[in-house]
Amino acid sequence: MPSSHDAERYPGVENRVQFFAVAMTVALAVLGVQLWRLQILNLNYFREKSMGQIVGEQRLKSDRGIIFARDNAVLADNRPSADIVFVPGECPKERHSEVCHSLANILGISASELYDEIESKRGAPFIQILVQQDVTKAERTRIEENAYKLPGVFTKVHPQRRYLHGKTAGQLLGYLAEIGPNQLETWREDGYRQGDLIGYAGIEQQYEQLLHGRDGFERYTRYADGSPQLLTDTGGKPYIATRDTAGNLLDSMGIRHDPSRGGDLHLTLDLDLQEHCENLLGGEAGAIVVLNADTGEVLAMASNPAYDPNVFVTQNLRTEKNVLLQGPKGATPRERLDPLKSLAFKEQTYPGSIYKMVVAAAAIEEGVITPTSTVSCGGSFQMGAVLHCWQRHGHGGTNLVNSLAYSCDVFYYTIAQKLGIDRISAWSHKFGLGERTGIDLPEEAPGLVPNPAWKAEVHKNDKDPSIGRWYPVETSIMAIGQGSTQMTPLQAAAMISTFVNGGYRVRPHLNQGMKPEREKILKDETVEIVKEGLLRCVEKDDYPRGTGQQAKVKGLRVLGKTGTAQVVRLAVRDEAARKNNGVVPWALRHHAWFVAGVIEEDLRIAVSVLILHGEKGSDVASPYAKDVMEYVYADKLKGQHVALAGGE
Amino acid sequence: MAISARDMTVQNASVRIINPRNVLSIDFLMPVFVMMLVSIGWVTMYSAEPSDTYAHFYKQIMFFFAGAAIAAAIISMDYRVLVSLAPAMFVVAVGMLVAVLFFASVVNGSERWLVLGPIRIQPSEVTKVVMVYVLAWYLTKLGMRIRRFHWFAATFLIMAVPMLLILKQPNLGTAACLGPLTLVMLFVAGCRLWHLSLVILAGLCVVPFAWYQLHGFDPVEDKPKSATYYEAHPEEMPPPKPFYELYYHQKMRIYTFLNPEADPKGGAWQTIQSKVAVGSGGLSGKGYLKGTQTRLNYLPEYHTDFIFSHLAEERGFLGGAIVIGLFAAFLLRGLMFARDCPDMMGTLLAAGIVTILCFHVFVNIAITVGLMPVTGIPLPFLSYGGSFYMTTMACVGILLSVPMRRRILVR
Repeated sequence: MPSSHDAERYPGVENRVQFFAVAMTVALAVLGVQLWRLQILNLNYFREKSMGQIVGEQRLKSDRGIIFARDNAVLADNRPSADIVFVPGECPKERHSEVCHSLANILGISASELYDEIESKRGAPFIQILVQQDVTKAERTRIEENAYKLPGVFTKVHPQRRYLHGKTAGQLLGYLAEIGPNQLETWREDGYRQGDLIGYAGIEQQYEQLLHGRDGFERYTRYADGSPQLLTDTGGKPYIATRDTAGNLLDSMGIRHDPSRGGDLHLTLDLDLQEHCENLLGGEAGAIVVLNADTGEVLAMASNPAYDPNVFVTQNLRTEKNVLLQGPKGATPRERLDPLKSLAFKEQTYPGSIYKMVVAAAAIEEGVITPTSTVSCGGSFQMGAVLHCWQRHGHGGTNLVNSLAYSCDVFYYTIAQKLGIDRISAWSHKFGLGERTGIDLPEEAPGLVPNPAWKAEVHKNDKDPSIGRWYPVETSIMAIGQGSTQMTPLQAAAMISTFVNGGYRVRPHLNQGMKPEREKILKDETVEIVKEGLLRCVEKDDYPRGTGQQAKVKGLRVLGKTGTAQVVRLAVRDEAARKNNGVVPWALRHHAWFVAGVIEEDLRIAVSVLILHGEKGSDVASPYAKDVMEYVYADKLKGQHVALAGGE
Repeated sequence: MAISARDMTVQNASVRIINPRNVLSIDFLMPVFVMMLVSIGWVTMYSAEPSDTYAHFYKQIMFFFAGAAIAAAIISMDYRVLVSLAPAMFVVAVGMLVAVLFFASVVNGSERWLVLGPIRIQPSEVTKVVMVYVLAWYLTKLGMRIRRFHWFAATFLIMAVPMLLILKQPNLGTAACLGPLTLVMLFVAGCRLWHLSLVILAGLCVVPFAWYQLHGFDPVEDKPKSATYYEAHPEEMPPPKPFYELYYHQKMRIYTFLNPEADPKGGAWQTIQSKVAVGSGGLSGKGYLKGTQTRLNYLPEYHTDFIFSHLAEERGFLGGAIVIGLFAAFLLRGLMFARDCPDMMGTLLAAGIVTILCFHVFVNIAITVGLMPVTGIPLPFLSYGGSFYMTTMACVGILLSVPMRRRILVR
């Protein structure tokens, strides 16, 4: 028996036990309160969290829209591309190594690397391990023939962008690449996700929203430890696999929105003409732009050097892609031209004498000269400095028409002083120079029309205020398209369009669906007198000949203007030539320009040609323009109808 | 110590080991509460079953019967006899804790098992119950001498032995359980309140200790390198860990409790998912077998430590509150035994057992509802686990045996 001493309880022990009981009850009540807080007060928050994480959404990607040229010629479409994937969970473990070796045999890959990758994905047996991207038809056939000894190996088909004509119009179409992090942040709401391909240049970028279409989705219950696997059927149509990466059976919630295909795009581009222009350029660095002068439709816009956008979207051409993205690394300036930068609209340069038509029109409109006013050209113009005419012995008494036909510099030095820089600048902007034409392409260069405010801004950090001052002589220099004046071939084509179509400024565009925009900027009389000068430039073949006489096409009425743009001071150029056995180095040669327009036809076109460092516009650039015009009107010249009847 | 076991011999006690008349005096309310909790445990386990064969469900039922047998054995013995064996139990328990440090198999990094042929024992589980007996024995022997400080302080010396051994395993949860047990039993035994306040104040010093441990802690940078890493780099040695430093996983638990949003996919996953499971249950729950958090593997350990979250998800606030209420009723009934027991030994025994069970109920549920950092503490009657289930049933047996022996003394 335990002693009675052990059994004795001190007085008050009951109170202590009861105190403990109260404390315990309070503690358990705290749990009840917290339960109430979570389950009743914050129910919606946690319901949402719970639903949010168990509802998985698998995206069903939309097909990108097709890009057509005029007459429904396909420029860009989607081809089925087949990837070979291996799902370890669908193949008995002891056969993994055997399958790896068979795949290595057929596809020429490393069996051990593949095996290592399978081993590393052990936690997710139903994950799709990419074995080879974009396999050839022969490889795919061999895989399918050997299917019986390749358990767990599947072919996954998905659409891949294809540019059917390679380099042709490549710079205009642009290409696709993976969306960047900044872009993704702003576009996430529109349904874009990591890894999506988006247009990165040209039409693909400009019309991304239209071409992309809308992705669809399918909802299913999502397990914590796996992610769903999207498979495609043999036709490339997506469907949801029944197991996720961890092997859980997926339960579709029955909510599915099919993707809607991207919209197709019809371009104003004439594929044959585009190809012809690109072939014409051959190895020359330069650009040719052909517009419908009445509507602004771009019929062709060629530039060299160019690139094939397929290198960006084809897996097997990764090296070529990297070369392009790293930029050109040539030894000479000619080799350092970037194929990604179209000379037709992304690069601007000095226009030379083709700019004179703008100054001439401005002078007539502003009334500072009349059509009959003459300026005496003695070969040079005195204004503090001596400015020379290209014709060192002078053109004699010259009126507006002849100044355009013979490209007299002294005439423009003189009327530039009468007009003043502000009026020349304002009229240039009316023609759309010094600003983007508004063509539906990204990264268009705006060109440059200098004026005193611009110069002050450029030199605002110079200590010497005289550097940023505008000198009157600069007005004369810019009036012949030199100095700081810059233009793109696209702007040049739009500029001459105004004289071809009777005084309207047009907005160049590539999308057929775009409404042509026209704005009358010149009086008919002004157009007539300038046109006469431009016609004479091409048509006058007796002495003294028009400078654009080489562009004359029998059977067509052609307006034209030559331009020879000096890129460095003549002294520098001569010095370099002397050191180089009398040959001017390529990078110091003049740019050769020619702009032309065809009037008195159903389809009136404007052509601009730039041959980079081609020396003399009249000899080098004008034959290109002539060839283009002969090509466009070939049918008519053979006595038939014009093939390219303007749409609008 | 002037404690002798002169009249606490087994021979004396053996006359009362089985006494059929006592069975008539068994409490009837407590078995009702227990059976309700046990049934809820089975039903919940069926829904939380992680395997296709329902192995856990059937085993859990077997654990109950095995536990019931243990409880029956305990009931049939006079608790005073068992208390008189406390010194021997203490020696065996400490022996097992030492053994486990040398020959243990590790599960989940912290729970240590002793494997004796077909039987697997978790010595730390057994120790909890043993320490109730040891304290009951010691405090009864002391009587009112506990009001003197050195006897009071000696209690902690006794407790420190198993506590440090368990911390060494390392099993923070079980070691922490012994703290409240000591305090409550000292309190019930009639110690001076200012002595107790002193200890609690000293306990509050843990706060600066925790601050010291977590000061400048970075979950990524402080992550210890794996054993395979050191195998691959034999020239590098793992940095030495001072004995006063907490382990990485212990620091991590406190860290993620304090910063649950810092790393939702990592350590805080359990806390977040448990709260989501509980919170999304609402008033009446998502319905039996319809808990998405469990079905889709979001809730971790849903059949063991987080079974309450699973229950609250499927059965809602009503289900959760009923379970908490049943636990409260069961534990309060146990405290009634303590209050009404005429001898000190029974009072202490009942209060100690209630403390251990209450600690598990409170800490486990507090973890699932996000009030405490994650520690491996199972919920009595609901969590899966043989060792713990049988310990719980043994506790029930001890509680029931206390009022059954009352009459003998009264008579």
